[in-house]
Amino acid sequence: MKYELVAGFETHIELATKTKIFCSCTTQFGGAPNSHCCPVCIGLPGTLPKLNREVVNYAIKAGLAVHGEIAEIAKMDRKNYCYPDLSKAYQISQLYAPLIIGGYVELSNGRKIRLHHIHIEEDAGKLIHQHGDTYVDYNRGGVPLIEIVSEPDIRSVDEAREYVEKLQQVMRYIGISDCKMQEGSMRCDVNISVRPQGSEKLGTRTEIKNMNSINNIAKAMEYEYERQVDLIESGGKVVQETLRYDDATNTTSSMRSKEDAHDYRYFRDPDLVTIKVSREEVEEIKSELPELPADKCKRYIEELAIPEKDAQLLTKYRKISEYFDEACNGVKSPKTVSNFIIGQIFRRTETEADKEIFNVSVSPLQLNELVKLLDSGKIRNNLAKSTLEKMLDSGKGALEFISESDMGGLDENALLELCKQAVESNPKAVDDYRNGKEKAIKALVGNVMKNSRGKADASAAEAKIKELIG
Amino acid sequence: MVTREDVENIALLSKLFVPEEELDGLTKSMQEIIDFADTINNAPVSGDSFDDINNLSNVFREDVVVESYSTKEILENAPEQAEDHFLVRNRE
Repeated sequence: MKYELVAGFETHIELATKTKIFCSCTTQFGGAPNSHCCPVCIGLPGTLPKLNREVVNYAIKAGLAVHGEIAEIAKMDRKNYCYPDLSKAYQISQLYAPLIIGGYVELSNGRKIRLHHIHIEEDAGKLIHQHGDTYVDYNRGGVPLIEIVSEPDIRSVDEAREYVEKLQQVMRYIGISDCKMQEGSMRCDVNISVRPQGSEKLGTRTEIKNMNSINNIAKAMEYEYERQVDLIESGGKVVQETLRYDDATNTTSSMRSKEDAHDYRYFRDPDLVTIKVSREEVEEIKSELPELPADKCKRYIEELAIPEKDAQLLTKYRKISEYFDEACNGVKSPKTVSNFIIGQIFRRTETEADKEIFNVSVSPLQLNELVKLLDSGKIRNNLAKSTLEKMLDSGKGALEFISESDMGGLDENALLELCKQAVESNPKAVDDYRNGKEKAIKALVGNVMKNSRGKADASAAEAKIKELIG
Repeated sequence: MVTREDVENIALLSKLFVPEEELDGLTKSMQEIIDFADTINNAPVSGDSFDDINNLSNVFREDVVVESYSTKEILENAPEQAEDHFLVRNRE
């Protein structure tokens, strides 16, 4: 029997606000242990949390970016659990009235992964387990998070990968988080089950906690899918439990079963008042959002005639798309700009990290000037390419490398002269051509191009040479 | 109705050990406490009126960093500490 994978994600994203969610301590990553703390974020009795306005704004941005509905009224709740990463023995979160309801992430195959809601909450401290004891650092305690809860709409590992990448991309675009999985500013819990292909009923799910890289998510899902299918095929039953993934052995193991699942005893946090969001505020925040990557990609394809694959590369990171937008200003062929970026410039920004920062020695305006020279027919493609290399090496503009005499192409006489030279200096190629070797003409044209320093028009040169030797 | 299992479960969640012989007594006490608290249900109110007793909303803080406490101050009341961390000993 064939089995279908069904997965839903809970994605935690640390917001890039300057201060924590309920106090004015810095959210900076790292720092000496317990040096970014105050009585509020270490949960001393008698302290009062006060909500950071920017957390609400950032979460609303996130909600709008994934087409969610912004609640008019939201409230904070206490989620009770006893573990040293939270000294208060409860986490301030949202259950009954989250800030964002619904929404979706659209995948390239056209499927929409629906979101159940997005809520805001505080992060917990960091635990270091050593020799059976636990060392607690509360620097991360109280750092604002959004948790994006999807419906169980994901049907394959590839979809899971794209879902996470899309979330990461859009959240970075709108600037609410750096979404660095390796630093923990983005973490995923994956709920996964299997069911016979064609069945509508959901199988029993397991939850894999705290995945911190897209590759590990993919590997853990593949492992868990196989494990569940094998279990069912051999007559067993999947037990609802929470799992931990070990990337060294590529296996999952049980953290706790449903029997000792926590009863979180959620209730309204009496220390924090209701959040009311006016529709005017929502509109204002909406107007501040940049063009989203999906919209940009669509525009590049439909309005600028960029091939889909290239449009995806250009929109992967906001910096690249902004560079492209600026370099395209007033040019006839955005495709040319795109080719220069994806070809020559990407060769110098090889890693994903380089592409994300996209620190290019040639400014978008300089590239724009170069492409306009091409557009106007003043220079030819070969010269443009070699000039771009020199520009990238030096950071200087195109006109540093192209003299007046390089521009404007060749007049008839100069072209004729070069063609004659080519014919005279390559008797073998001429003979070959006359003996029916059509391709031999390319050598002659190449000679003309070289001696004209790329200024000659190749097809005009070919025609002229054929006239001379034909 | 509060059952023995409820009391056991609450004890577990609260990380408390309850001896077997105390369970019946605690179950009875717990029921009495809940009955007492239930009198509040007779109060003549409707809807959400307990929700925002002060009728306040949108009390916010601006996103401006204030210097944190020193690590020494933060750890001052820690029952145990080591290497600038709160130390939680494994009791098992």
